[in-house]
Amino acid sequence: MNFSFRNKRISGLLTVAPANERSFLQEMKNFNAPEARSLKLMEVMGYDKRRVVTEGVCVSDLAVFGLQNLFSRSLLQPDEIDALILISQTPDYLVPPTTSVIQGRLGLKQDILCMDINQACAGFVIGLIQAFMLLEQQSVRKVVLLSGDVLSRKVSPKDRTIYPIVGDALAITVAERDAGESSIEASVKMDGSRANALCIPAGGMRLPCSPQTTVLEDVGDNNLRAKDHLFMDGSAIFNFVQTEVPSLINDLFARAGRDFNSVDYFLCHQPNRFMLQKLADKMKIPYQKMPNNVVERFGNSGGATIPMALTINIADRLKAGRVNACLAGFGAGLTWAAMLLTLGPFSFCELIDYN
Amino acid sequence: MSDPFLQKLAEILEVPEVKSSDELKALPQWDSLAVLSVIAMLDATYGVNLRAADFATVQSAGDLWKLVESQKRS
Repeated sequence: MNFSFRNKRISGLLTVAPANERSFLQEMKNFNAPEARSLKLMEVMGYDKRRVVTEGVCVSDLAVFGLQNLFSRSLLQPDEIDALILISQTPDYLVPPTTSVIQGRLGLKQDILCMDINQACAGFVIGLIQAFMLLEQQSVRKVVLLSGDVLSRKVSPKDRTIYPIVGDALAITVAERDAGESSIEASVKMDGSRANALCIPAGGMRLPCSPQTTVLEDVGDNNLRAKDHLFMDGSAIFNFVQTEVPSLINDLFARAGRDFNSVDYFLCHQPNRFMLQKLADKMKIPYQKMPNNVVERFGNSGGATIPMALTINIADRLKAGRVNACLAGFGAGLTWAAMLLTLGPFSFCELIDYN
Repeated sequence: MSDPFLQKLAEILEVPEVKSSDELKALPQWDSLAVLSVIAMLDATYGVNLRAADFATVQSAGDLWKLVESQKRS
């Protein structure tokens, strides 16, 4: 599915990461994993530090903290927010929407559209498409897009295939109309027939949480996981990314009449360094044009990783001028999405710690 | 069997040599990271996309090569 937008832009970006940091090497020791193997995983996958919330912290807590930070510095006015979109898989409640919770806690105006979208690692691009569509309405002048998760709370501490790599974070992106002649192209694909590759089986209506869904089951290799926990078929996801993402991006460039040299940076979702390097290899993109250093510092935080890649690598450039970018996200659904746009100058672009 | 294929396997597994008859799963180096690296190598070198589940029937390096050959033709 293709999308085209004119005269829209991102005007600011703030990422919120919990201050609480964990170390991969330390955690692997707790799994009694051989240190040589952990070091190898560190070297190849880039696992090192990750940030996770302390007990009980929800997505709305990160969102309220970040938005209050922007309000207090007059980087954003509460009354300017005409729409609030949240991309997350870890809502505060099944009912009501988390955006309504955030609106209420911040006392935002009633003349607003609050909308939760259940998307994951492709979510930042999906959310931008939604934000730009809303900005086609004259009544909508500023959209605040929130994207991120507290997935560390939904992974099994006894599953070393996923526990040591998941991070928590939330990104706050402000989108508005642009007086210039900006042109944005995006493309999205979905394949629900592979939905089981990334799944939390229990907690919805199909399999409500119960004492049974908390029972840890041996899933092989001494890993234990319950139905309440996130399951990821790692090799199927790796294969999916290598197979589907390059052709999506190639087709997007062809449709826009652009080549890879016209882009300064490819900013992809950040599952691990290995996958991003293999993706860069396959597309013949130099590693320095496709940053892969988010996971080693923060872990994989779903829909917040692309904004994190921006804020930790090119914040100064984004505040000072323009950057031609290709964004690409891929994950649960399965969903894969890419967008070609010019970023900057941003009025703010930074990462803050949540305490 | 292709010698470059065996050489690439040896590089991934960090062993001096892999022979066609070698039982891959018997090697201590054969872990999930090795499987992922082999999947990536087969995709990059031969344009063949395998999943970890496809390795279920593979015992030896020769078996893996046969699987790659069959995928290349299909």
